[in-house]
Amino acid sequence: MLKQSIYRDAYGHPQSSCLTFAGIWAHHMKFLIVGMVLAFFGFADGLYARTLLDQLGRQVAVGDSPQRVIALAPNITEIVYTLGQQHRLIGVSQFSDYPPEAKLLPKVGSYAHLDLEKIVSLQPDLCIAIKDGNPKEVAMRLAALHVPVYVVNPKDLDTVLNTVLDIGRLLNAEGNAKEVVGMLKSRIKTIDASLSQIKHRPRVFVQIGISPIVSAGSHTFIHELVERAGGINVAKGPVTYPRFSREQVLSMAPDVIVITSMARGALFQEVKDEWMKWQSLPAARENRIFIQDSNLCDRPTPRLVDGLELLARLIHPEIFKDSP
Amino acid sequence: MSGRGAFAKNFWLVMIVLSILLVGAMLLGLCMGSSERTVWAALKAVFNPGEGDATLRTIVLQIRLPRVLLAVAVGAALSVGGLVFQALLKNPLAEPYILGISGGSAIGAIVGILMGFSRFPGVCTTAFSGSIATLGLILFMNAGRSILKKESLLLSGVMINAFCSAVIMFLVSLTQDSRLHNIIFWLMGDLSQGNIQQALILMGLLLPCLFIVFFLSNTMNVLLLGEEIAHTAGINIKQVSLTLLIVTSFMVSTTVSYCGLLGFVGLVMPHSLRLILGPDHRILVPACILGGSAFMVLCDVLARTLPEQGEMPAGVITAMIGAPLFIYLLRRSN
Repeated sequence: MLKQSIYRDAYGHPQSSCLTFAGIWAHHMKFLIVGMVLAFFGFADGLYARTLLDQLGRQVAVGDSPQRVIALAPNITEIVYTLGQQHRLIGVSQFSDYPPEAKLLPKVGSYAHLDLEKIVSLQPDLCIAIKDGNPKEVAMRLAALHVPVYVVNPKDLDTVLNTVLDIGRLLNAEGNAKEVVGMLKSRIKTIDASLSQIKHRPRVFVQIGISPIVSAGSHTFIHELVERAGGINVAKGPVTYPRFSREQVLSMAPDVIVITSMARGALFQEVKDEWMKWQSLPAARENRIFIQDSNLCDRPTPRLVDGLELLARLIHPEIFKDSP
Repeated sequence: MSGRGAFAKNFWLVMIVLSILLVGAMLLGLCMGSSERTVWAALKAVFNPGEGDATLRTIVLQIRLPRVLLAVAVGAALSVGGLVFQALLKNPLAEPYILGISGGSAIGAIVGILMGFSRFPGVCTTAFSGSIATLGLILFMNAGRSILKKESLLLSGVMINAFCSAVIMFLVSLTQDSRLHNIIFWLMGDLSQGNIQQALILMGLLLPCLFIVFFLSNTMNVLLLGEEIAHTAGINIKQVSLTLLIVTSFMVSTTVSYCGLLGFVGLVMPHSLRLILGPDHRILVPACILGGSAFMVLCDVLARTLPEQGEMPAGVITAMIGAPLFIYLLRRSN
């Protein structure tokens, strides 16, 4: 009845809960008795407190099946929807815009500036936070107010998949999570297999900022996706979001330029026209300047795999020309 | 004798009116928020622990109360800070940040944020060190000259602030991730992070400072009459000015390191109260403490209730309300 599961941390190392089985047993004796009575009537859900380790190694006591969940960042909202667990959501952070119906949920402030009072007033039984984005102070204060806060820390594609599994366990949707992750893994494998024979890796410049020109360094999802999609990220390096002058970009001679959707519609055309003036630039000569939805390449969600597939097609059209 | 009687009557009248205003503002601060907004529900939750809504009780006591107390402390410190600097430098444009305190503590805070420190005590400490460093620099630059040569003190403060804002822009332009958000909120002034211990520590630090300023309020009156008169009245101008300068700067530095750069309170509140109550510092100092706190609490209430999705920094509201209010009072007094 009591699961003492072993959870994996962000790097995939198994971590067992520190509490002993006997300790939990004694601690939950009275809940167990009540629980067995209630289970008979079929509403035992949410009564058993589990102690899980979150991705920062913190111990978090959570119900077996949390019913009032708040997602403190847009990517977490997205993952909860992907797992089909949106009925548990009672609040989301501002800019939780995917899927569109998430926009209708009550907002609890932006991920960087959360509205503590709003969160507490919704009486959540679980908040899911993200390490890079949510301020540490808010997580600590919520924990002090007895709101369980589970922190995830996705750093790359692998840890995004682990995060999906972790959130699945958290929300009593392990089966869904395994299925989703299995599908994502096979899509990634397909891309890897298609690209295994490539001889030439085009030089790719991903432009995420227009004025100034900003790209993404080695410690970003964009870098990982570009390299995995068979390209060379010309902006790679220790600076997370390096800036470039036009001159520097020209001298790096990228074969492909991908502009993320911070520039929409007319603005994208303007930015593209500006690059097209420089015919010495291989990407301009070959007319290989594209736009891509920024949420597909910098939001740590399963949609990163969509981003990977799209990038692979843009960078290696010769390989994917037959598939739709 | 009748003059003293009139002063006392005036004094108590002002104190009572402003105290009522402050208590009203604080009650409003406890009752308004992004969730429940009815006064009775909030009061019931607090005074009727068995019966009232437990969540609302947590919200009122652990989220709203610290903010209200923080706003009280900050409003009092900044208003009195502005008042003292205006009197000391005999310059109507003087505000609590005039000596470069804002720039110094902002650099300290940004360095703290960039180094990944938590808001308290990490960023508070770096911000405080930054402001104390600039204060030390100002005093060092002006040492040896006749103390408080107003123009040179003012100008060195302005220059230090200008230099600091260049450094701030440089640091901001280097930052791109989510820490940028934290920096911007800090620069605009933000009360949302306060918890009860921090608010009480801040009040404990500010109380003796406010007391010293109040003790010296009559001396400030004499100082404003001119150095010669002050001299004949037996006031050690150098000592008094230096005391006021250091006490006020300490007060403002502490406040800023907790809450960031809340603009305008220190400029608007002393002037507005002076326009209404006249130039007597014996009334103005306590009036600034009460009125400044009430104004700050009200601004914070607006900051967290106006926007539908998440709150805005309180510093935005203080300037948006403070400036028109001040212009109105100025026109009316002319």
